[in-house]
Amino acid sequence: MSADRLRSAHEATRYQKQWFLDLAERARAGEPLAIVNADAPHEILRALDIPYVVTQWWSSIIAAKRMSPAALSHVAARGLPDFSLQYDAIPLGEQDLADADRPWGGLPQPTFAIAERSGDITQKIFEQWGERDGTETFLLSRTGGDPAPHAWWDLVPHQWEAAFGSDRLDLLQDEIGELITWLEERTGRILDTGRLERILELGNEQAEWNRRTRDLIASARPTPVAVNDTMPAVMVPQWHRGTEWAVGAAKRLHDEVAERVEEETAICPDERVRLMWVGRGLWSDLDMYRRFQEEFGAVFVWSMYLAIAADGYLRYGDDATRTLAARFVGITDQLYMPPWSSEWYVKEALSHGVDGVVHLVADDAAGAGLISEALEDEGIPVLEIRANNADERSAAAARIPERIEEFLRTRVR
Amino acid sequence: MTSTPRVGVVGADLPRQVALAAGAVPTRLLGAWEGDTSREARELLGAMDVVAVRILDEILAGAHDHLAGLVVCNDSSANLRLFYVLRVLAERGRVRLPVSLFDAPRGSGSPREHFVARRIARLTEFCEAVTGSGPSDFAAAAASEDALGGALRGLRARRRSGRVTGAAALDAYRAAATLAPEEAALEVDRVDRSAAGIPVVVTGGSHPDSSVYAAIENEGLLVVGDDHDTGDAAWIGPTGRDAAEIARLHAARPPLAQRSRSSERAAALAALVTETKARGVISLARELDDAPAWDLAAQRAAIDVPLVARTRIAPDAARTQAVDAARELRDRITEEGA
Repeated sequence: MSADRLRSAHEATRYQKQWFLDLAERARAGEPLAIVNADAPHEILRALDIPYVVTQWWSSIIAAKRMSPAALSHVAARGLPDFSLQYDAIPLGEQDLADADRPWGGLPQPTFAIAERSGDITQKIFEQWGERDGTETFLLSRTGGDPAPHAWWDLVPHQWEAAFGSDRLDLLQDEIGELITWLEERTGRILDTGRLERILELGNEQAEWNRRTRDLIASARPTPVAVNDTMPAVMVPQWHRGTEWAVGAAKRLHDEVAERVEEETAICPDERVRLMWVGRGLWSDLDMYRRFQEEFGAVFVWSMYLAIAADGYLRYGDDATRTLAARFVGITDQLYMPPWSSEWYVKEALSHGVDGVVHLVADDAAGAGLISEALEDEGIPVLEIRANNADERSAAAARIPERIEEFLRTRVR
Repeated sequence: MTSTPRVGVVGADLPRQVALAAGAVPTRLLGAWEGDTSREARELLGAMDVVAVRILDEILAGAHDHLAGLVVCNDSSANLRLFYVLRVLAERGRVRLPVSLFDAPRGSGSPREHFVARRIARLTEFCEAVTGSGPSDFAAAAASEDALGGALRGLRARRRSGRVTGAAALDAYRAAATLAPEEAALEVDRVDRSAAGIPVVVTGGSHPDSSVYAAIENEGLLVVGDDHDTGDAAWIGPTGRDAAEIARLHAARPPLAQRSRSSERAAALAALVTETKARGVISLARELDDAPAWDLAAQRAAIDVPLVARTRIAPDAARTQAVDAARELRDRITEEGA
């Protein structure tokens, strides 16, 4: 652990590995296990005591272990594309890696694969899971972001009917009902609504801590924490959303950040340039985020992970399944759909006082051009890089560090 | 004298009867296989199927300013992204047309059908608003659309019996998607001329025009059927008594690559190959239209004729790639038949 690494990041990473090893052991002993994408209503699984692994998180582990190219080669060996939505596809290939190559011993064959039909490809990848003996697939609809009122972050905690529209919410709420029935039939368990309500409350408490943490970091000068620390410190608890542990982890992160702010800790004492990373995390090279501190005094002060954990998940409501529908019906809208995405990134850039933005654009990310344009309109220079975050072949081809250096030399004050 | 208003359509999900009932001619914007794209459109849409970029370019250039309104279907990532961009541009006044999203998720069952029926009701309101017409009359609109559907069934039958080339069939579908139903039906009925070649089916992404089919057929193949939304899987013709019935019809449509499971796609392709007695299949998918590539493994497993695929086709390489695929398929069919 480096001297300035967050204790909460270290603790989250340690916890997650032990949690995964325990989960894998239980799954190999016959307990059900689900693989889900990030935008599915995980809270239902938690309420039914079905452990789940999030595709994008598992991809990030595979990428961090530098096994994504090998995993993708197995995807290709099955006649499937290795160039398409790699972030979702890598775990499919991981199943076919040699035992010695599988991170943390590998993900046991899941019982359930659950996703929403975001984009054109996610449904196909999750269908592939269901082609394997012992796994069944359930797909939820993903409706388009319409309506799209302004300043969504102010609306969604309470006024989500207006933010998303009742038609969209009705559909997802009904489909969550179908998912509950589907899981109850297969596990013999019955959903306890009171438990689901408590899980939703805990999710809100966690988000409230994240909001305080985000606000602290936004106003702190110099920045007290590195984004490659806040990413695991936020995202590991995010995948345990709805648990006491996750609330505690979010609070510990907050308290540690507050302590650093109080002590005027700086991860780069010579901070001269504040950078924002728009897009998914570069999991195969997290050290990259700190590579520009010494030469340029350039510090990444923002990633979407803490910010969306602060603004994206809060939902207060009396009806558990409708509130849950409201949490997920527009989760991708918030991050990617213009004008929601572009307005939000501008708000975050201004509140964090950034001097420049590195915008990693994945093929499946809608609205990237309008996000960059909105930031540039505020006088914030933007470097757009088109690459896949989890596929190190793609990231290497994009020459990310070299292009950031050039950006810092030529466009950022 | 005022002409019949036209409502532009991007995508294939529109229940045309709704636009017709509001007194409009639904006119699909199809884009093109070839042509330059502007930097503005490329930057606005980002990494995107070039056909959507070309449609945006047409709109930005004012080529569709005569339309009363524009409906964009959420039937692919490309089209949904195009809607998001157009909505922003309309708010800025950069796009003059009223723009509306038609969102009709696939799948049967009451939650989805109920949602689609409500979206059809909203679509009805939009069409009535942009045409300035009174209450829509679904029944009256059904007659002309039913007649066009009948003409297209006849076209498909002629395709199967070698009386229509694939390129001519695509042109007929284009007419059906862009002209008034009565005028389109006449165009469709006129397409009847003997055609020769090894019968094949085309799967994959949509074809904005017939140029790629013409290139394939120049290599001695005859495209007797296809499963994309600008060919046999276009949703032109079916009509219902009300929104609920149209929603049920929507749920039962042929599966399209971008919104269906690969197993559904494979089963539909196998049925099409059997029905058309095709001896081979060509799958073509443009760069950044990856859904067809995910179907290939299941499709190959489901059919007993050779399938030749080209994926990630670059914007300027469609005809070259198609010719290459056609030659490869022709050679394989010839070898296997020898």
